[in-house]
Amino acid sequence: MAKPKVSSDWLAGCAGCHMSLLDMDERIATVVSLVDLRATPITDFKHPDESGVDVGILEGGVNNTANEEVAKRMRSRCKILVALGDCAVFGGVPAMRNFFTIEESLKRAYVESESTDDSGKIPDDPELAVPTKVHALQDIVPVDVFVPGCPPSADAIFFALSELAQGRIPDLKGDSLAWN
Amino acid sequence: MATITINDKKLEVPDGITVLRAAQANGIDIPTLCDHPHLTPYGGCRLCLVEVEGARTLQPSCTLPVANNMVVKTDTKKVLDARKFVLTLIFSERNHFCPYCQVSGGDCELQNSAYGEGMTHWPLSPNYKPYPMDASHPYIIMENNRCILCRRCVRACGELVGNYTLGFEERGANSILVADTGVPLGESTCISCGACVQVCPTGALIDRWSAYRGRETQVDITNTVCVGCSVGCKVNVLTRNNSLVRIEGDWDAELNEGVLCEVGRFEPMSVECERIVTPLVRKDGSLKAATWDEAIATVAAELKKAATNVAALISTRQPVEAIYGFKQLFAEKIGSDLVTTTEEGAFTADAAAFADSANKAFETDLKDLQNAGAVMVVDADLTGGHQVAGFFIKRKLAAGTNLLVLDKKENGLNNVAHKVLKASKGANADAIKALMAAVVKLGLAKGKTSIKAADLDGFAAATGLKTDDFLDAAYVLTSAEHPVIVYDNGKELDVLKELADLVEGKLISLKGDANSLAASQLHLEKALKINGQKAAFFALGDDDASQKAIQEFEKVPFKVVSASYASALTSAADVVLPATNWLEQDGHYINLEGKVQEAHKALTPAEDTHSTVQTISALADKMGIKLDDNWTKEIHKRVSVVEISK
Repeated sequence: MAKPKVSSDWLAGCAGCHMSLLDMDERIATVVSLVDLRATPITDFKHPDESGVDVGILEGGVNNTANEEVAKRMRSRCKILVALGDCAVFGGVPAMRNFFTIEESLKRAYVESESTDDSGKIPDDPELAVPTKVHALQDIVPVDVFVPGCPPSADAIFFALSELAQGRIPDLKGDSLAWN
Repeated sequence: MATITINDKKLEVPDGITVLRAAQANGIDIPTLCDHPHLTPYGGCRLCLVEVEGARTLQPSCTLPVANNMVVKTDTKKVLDARKFVLTLIFSERNHFCPYCQVSGGDCELQNSAYGEGMTHWPLSPNYKPYPMDASHPYIIMENNRCILCRRCVRACGELVGNYTLGFEERGANSILVADTGVPLGESTCISCGACVQVCPTGALIDRWSAYRGRETQVDITNTVCVGCSVGCKVNVLTRNNSLVRIEGDWDAELNEGVLCEVGRFEPMSVECERIVTPLVRKDGSLKAATWDEAIATVAAELKKAATNVAALISTRQPVEAIYGFKQLFAEKIGSDLVTTTEEGAFTADAAAFADSANKAFETDLKDLQNAGAVMVVDADLTGGHQVAGFFIKRKLAAGTNLLVLDKKENGLNNVAHKVLKASKGANADAIKALMAAVVKLGLAKGKTSIKAADLDGFAAATGLKTDDFLDAAYVLTSAEHPVIVYDNGKELDVLKELADLVEGKLISLKGDANSLAASQLHLEKALKINGQKAAFFALGDDDASQKAIQEFEKVPFKVVSASYASALTSAADVVLPATNWLEQDGHYINLEGKVQEAHKALTPAEDTHSTVQTISALADKMGIKLDDNWTKEIHKRVSVVEISK
């Protein structure tokens, strides 16, 4: 059997989940030997193979039109989609923004922030992605596997990946299941 | 007994208990959120749903009484699916994002429940509606966004404390936890007992001090006794890396059953006094750091010079071991005739003298107070101190217990009392006699008295109150069996005892601080009045000295104080000996009902701070004096106001 192809990307997150993935130390070698690592933020390919991958992993919540596009592309190109970390699973820290209007958040970030000078301006270049309400990944595309945690521990990620690599759907419980 | 079957297991359980309690008693786990063993069942969270044979729908096990031949299933797919659904609904209602919550990672019952059901995510996305957050209280943060509407806090505030500050406003998803009529918690009738924080299953009510300082799994827990007053509540002290994290009421304690007051729970957290960390000896007019050997040698030499002319005072917050050693050294060995305590017997001397002459104990324990149908309070403000005893009364008022207050001062219980008697100054004895006359006049007397119904007008006139007031009061006091009379000091004890006998009531006195009764048993209840003493030794520990004590102290030529914190007393002293505080020492305390309880060290003291016991014994050694530690025998030598446990 060919090694399963795995691709990953990040949306509105802090990259912490990918850091936690790297935190599995030498076990990363085991993972690499078990899977065919394709496009990821830490490899050179930009997009998951058009011909499709077996496992797609997404970190972060969906907070603008660009995230939505990435999420939908990943979903269309993978067989099993993994939501990695609290932001992808629940919306997480970025979703705190949902308690305010988008205008309020933009104003706070670009005009009222302590580090902004008098001429603060909300970016409005038409090429920029449009901010939306922050969603958990499952609100945008169907998700097959949820690996919560902020970030998920290296052990939890290793367990999830090694199960997927061996063709099983991971069943997180005990120490691997944590939402914080 | 009823026979019920849970998960195919046949069980014999007592009638009247709930299915949940029956399951718990037999090791069958049913998850719950709104249920709490010390609160009445509420049935609000629906997490404990079970399948009952013959019932149309799933039933909440926490409010369902067992019935004979009932067949219950707690682990069917229907039940498990319902639990996940209930949790999903709870999570979707408010802000339950775990990463930035203080209780996340073990202390959150909501999170633990989700883990228990193996939930990796919420099938429904949350409703991003902001709810009010209240940080106006000095100790407590009320965060409605994390509230699951279980109302444990509301029940604790009413059922355990009798304060009824917390309640809910609005209905359904709009429900918000409010204080009083929606005022900020910090400006409400909240008395800061913290019971609500202790029962909250999520992060909706957290205390400011301990937030983010360590979770239950990361702390050490020491079970000990609160030394805030003579009630002697059992507490669990949570510490981490030898620093205080939080104090919680001990749910298993027979005495306080988890409840604490502000003094026990929060005040130890806000101690900001400067700690004394090294012995200090006055040289050339100013206090200089010294070694223990040097300080003790100086004290021993000066005490020898002063011979019996020594004034000695010890705090009643000290363990019996310290008070007994102190008494032996100063009263028996050195022979001083001024050995007393910080309280000078103010709340114990009269009652102790009464017990001496009666030659038997005459008071009862707090259990009787909790079960009393009527309570009379004489000069004792149970909202200012001894608050937990006040909770015992306040929480029974809704169930029909009647409360009578006799106090010339503004008593905190006045607004919940059924009758308040404010006799004019010095007229308490007349008021008590008038009350007895009223009881006789109403024909409600159960015992004997020399006072006649006809005396009512005369006694009432002396108090500045109307005769009707006493007739009302007599009804309140005799409205139920076995009334309990709580008094502050024993000044009117002769008439008070007569009143108690007349209505078949029982007596309890407050006694003051944590070890006032022990000090009284050791006859340390003299008034502090310096009369030519050449040396003074004040073993203050972590207590405060009164203005009077400071003034008297300053009259003495050579002054020693053993204290935890810097104060006017330490600045005036010639030798300052650093002392451990209550969390840093072991020892025994005798509470107001005569229960001997052991306190345990929760924190390791700094190297140069010594307990009073250590200090006293070092001083005795230096002076060539031998002390014994047989305090238990000494304590029982004197007849006490209340039976002291062995």
